[in-house]
Amino acid sequence: MKPPSENHDLIRWLDGEMNDNERASFDEQLKNNPLLAKEAEELRALSATIRLHMPAEMKMPHSDFFNSQIQVRISQMEADDARSNVAAAPIWFAVFRWRRQPWLVAAGAAALAVLSFVLLRPAQDAPSQSTILSSYTPNTHVRAHTFHDEEADATVLMLDGLDEVPAEKKISGITVQRSEMEPEFASTTLFDAAGERLLMISRDSTGSPLIWTKTPRG
Amino acid sequence: MPASAVSDPIEVSDIDLVKRSQAGDTRAFDILVTRYRGRIYAMTYHLIQNETEAWDLAQEAFIKAWRALPNFKLDAGFYTWLYRIAHNVSYDWLRKKKIQGDGEFDDEHTSHRAAAGAETAPKGDPAPDMAMRNAEVGQRIQAAIAKLSPEHRQVIVLREVEGLAYEEIAEIIPCSLGTIMSRLFYARKKLQEQLKDVYETTL
Repeated sequence: MKPPSENHDLIRWLDGEMNDNERASFDEQLKNNPLLAKEAEELRALSATIRLHMPAEMKMPHSDFFNSQIQVRISQMEADDARSNVAAAPIWFAVFRWRRQPWLVAAGAAALAVLSFVLLRPAQDAPSQSTILSSYTPNTHVRAHTFHDEEADATVLMLDGLDEVPAEKKISGITVQRSEMEPEFASTTLFDAAGERLLMISRDSTGSPLIWTKTPRG
Repeated sequence: MPASAVSDPIEVSDIDLVKRSQAGDTRAFDILVTRYRGRIYAMTYHLIQNETEAWDLAQEAFIKAWRALPNFKLDAGFYTWLYRIAHNVSYDWLRKKKIQGDGEFDDEHTSHRAAAGAETAPKGDPAPDMAMRNAEVGQRIQAAIAKLSPEHRQVIVLREVEGLAYEEIAEIIPCSLGTIMSRLFYARKKLQEQLKDVYETTL
């Protein structure tokens, strides 16, 4: 379909962007051109309808939370800035500081703690309660506990000792459909609903966990 | 962080609040947020057409504004400056979502979910049947605007909702006046096709 020819005069007339002379001239055109006049009237009605139904100000949903979140993020940014300033100190100081800090940020620690759980899920037709065989949290300050919530029909993972997760971080999870254990290699592999491997957990000769994860898609 | 006592927020000018914010007073900035969140949210909502994303983007705009406050020149209007930040944040989001191809937005790719407590229709207390009619018309308009390309949607919001002059629009986008007029022309033509039965009742 051929696009309509642009009529900038019509647009400028509609939006009040013409000076007095231009407007008078265009008004004359409208009087002599019924088609143009009809088009102008339609566009004016369209603009009025849009303005009526698109307010320039709207009530913000959960406005108090909106403000408080901004304050939280500002506080976090300032704390980050303060840490960055310290990080700019001499290397020996940075190393010293590094040794005193948890070696992962809170979100990362949370993720690894979850992923490091060795869990065994029964067959699909069995109750969905998982059996927690052992747990591992890279951050030694973090303690993990689990319990089964009957009402939610879910195994709940509790992590105590995490730093507060920054407000701008979005926490997401993965759904593990089933797991398989291989006693020979002392490994556990977790699978998603499509049967693809999500995670494999094993231990090296010193007993430290070895974790293989699939790179998340897109 | 410093947080000075702020007297009646209504009486305090933007400039005073900005000065205090620039000095690190987060309570003063909180008043600016309260003062302009409704307008910034309306703009992000009209551009994005999604309650949750619009809420997040409005928040992002205020955070960016806080970060950029040290560079803000007091001779400019705070709202205009804030508006530009919010517009850029929203437009960047829109561009990322833009569907390659004919450049048109597909209604299926934007949702019109209304969050609890959201108000998407003009204030007032119309009779129930009128309120329903208003809501229907509002949804039709939102759906029609959602189908516009980001560039067309942007000029419609800036012109029809914010009532900005061409020069102001050209400064925000930024582009030439000719481009503004061209985009407005085609955007309106597309809306005209889709909303004929809606606006005809007002003729």
